[in-house]
Amino acid sequence: MRPSKRDAHTLAGAYVMDAISAPDRERFERHLAGCEECAREIASLREATAVLGAAAAEPLPAGLKERVMAAAAMTRQQPPADEAQARPNTQGSWLRSLAWPGRLALAAGAATAAAVLTLAVVFGVSNGSMRQQLDQAQASSQQIAAVLTAHDAVMTSGPVSGGGTATIVMSHIRHALVFTAQGLRALPASRGYELWLIGPAGTRPVGMLPAGSHGMTGPVIASGLHQGDHLALTAESAAGTAHPTAPMMLDVDL
Amino acid sequence: MPAASAGAGRGSGRAGQGSGRAGQGSDRAGQGSDLAAQIGLVARGDAAAFDAVFEQIGPSVFGVVKRVIRDPAQSEEVTQEVLLEVWRNAAKFDAGRGSATAWVMTLAHRRAVDRVRSVQKEYERERRLAAADIPYDEVTEAVESSLERERVRRCLNSLTEVQRESVTLAYYRGYTYGQVASLLGVPTGTVKTRMRDALIRLRDCLGVAE
Repeated sequence: MRPSKRDAHTLAGAYVMDAISAPDRERFERHLAGCEECAREIASLREATAVLGAAAAEPLPAGLKERVMAAAAMTRQQPPADEAQARPNTQGSWLRSLAWPGRLALAAGAATAAAVLTLAVVFGVSNGSMRQQLDQAQASSQQIAAVLTAHDAVMTSGPVSGGGTATIVMSHIRHALVFTAQGLRALPASRGYELWLIGPAGTRPVGMLPAGSHGMTGPVIASGLHQGDHLALTAESAAGTAHPTAPMMLDVDL
Repeated sequence: MPAASAGAGRGSGRAGQGSGRAGQGSDRAGQGSDLAAQIGLVARGDAAAFDAVFEQIGPSVFGVVKRVIRDPAQSEEVTQEVLLEVWRNAAKFDAGRGSATAWVMTLAHRRAVDRVRSVQKEYERERRLAAADIPYDEVTEAVESSLERERVRRCLNSLTEVQRESVTLAYYRGYTYGQVASLLGVPTGTVKTRMRDALIRLRDCLGVAE
């Protein structure tokens, strides 16, 4: 049911303080899209809540800024609005772009995909397999960003027997890690690298590494880490196997 | 890196507004326009400007997120998400539609509330509702020494009790108006009205009206 204009106006305070349910929020935002007066009021009330927020300021925990700065360095920024394009109904549009859960979620998805892309650039991976992986990895890209920004994220790297170096960013609170590798020996087309989690919870295939490009492979997310897990890498048939059949080329105690 | 031009020109005209703000009004306005300018630079990928934004608004983001979420580890995570969002979406900030502080704090509060509502099991929520102490303590707790806090405290004091409790429970605790209504034993329609009235009064008292 559509709220009357009067009802919608009354909701302005609750809306600004995020004190409404998701369906109420959506209804109100539909109303807001066509109500300049409401948008102006919302904007002015937000200046008041911003001061309430600032009054609650607390010193930042140690290391937080450094973690975000590091994540930012690997995160592609959203482009600005194109000035050459018409910008209809600009009043209050940033408010709506912030306030619209659907769009926010979309933006987050796109941006984490962008983060993966940036990570790929950082690690020197280019198009081809990366593109394909990105397409497959919309969901995992969110997880990758979550691991990279987790406050307990730690990075380790070590040699792969047979050639190459693996780099792992792991977060215990996320129960996940991000794996990348550099300089892995090229395998014949019939073979591929398979990543494993091995531990008390059993042996689980994480998946096949995408074909490397310019010597770089990944990033690949491994989630569902358990206490006592090892991360292992083997060369298997290209289709992958359920259990490792080849010698471990990497065995990292997590 | 100096904040030369991007996004500047906002906020400086607001220094003298309101009353009883001698000695901090110009600081606030100066900081506001500076923040907008810095965000303009962040939009161009300027890491030093992002560092400056962090210094200015980071503690406010963390403070409000922690006030809503409570759990320090989760609060840190959400704070990181919010500030990374500022980095990613800096180009979307438009100084013509509100202050930089409001832009960031809106994002911070929304993220904090979304986190609480998505992860919190209903029974926990109920338990917390039942255990909620007098909301005015929230403010007293928040209010320490700074002039800014004193100003907020004074303006909150100018509200009626129901207005003040509605605002503190909703903003600092992250409750919906329906939950606030049941906590205060007041009809939901009344709470909605009081929330809006309260924010209008706060806006005017704080001198932040456009």
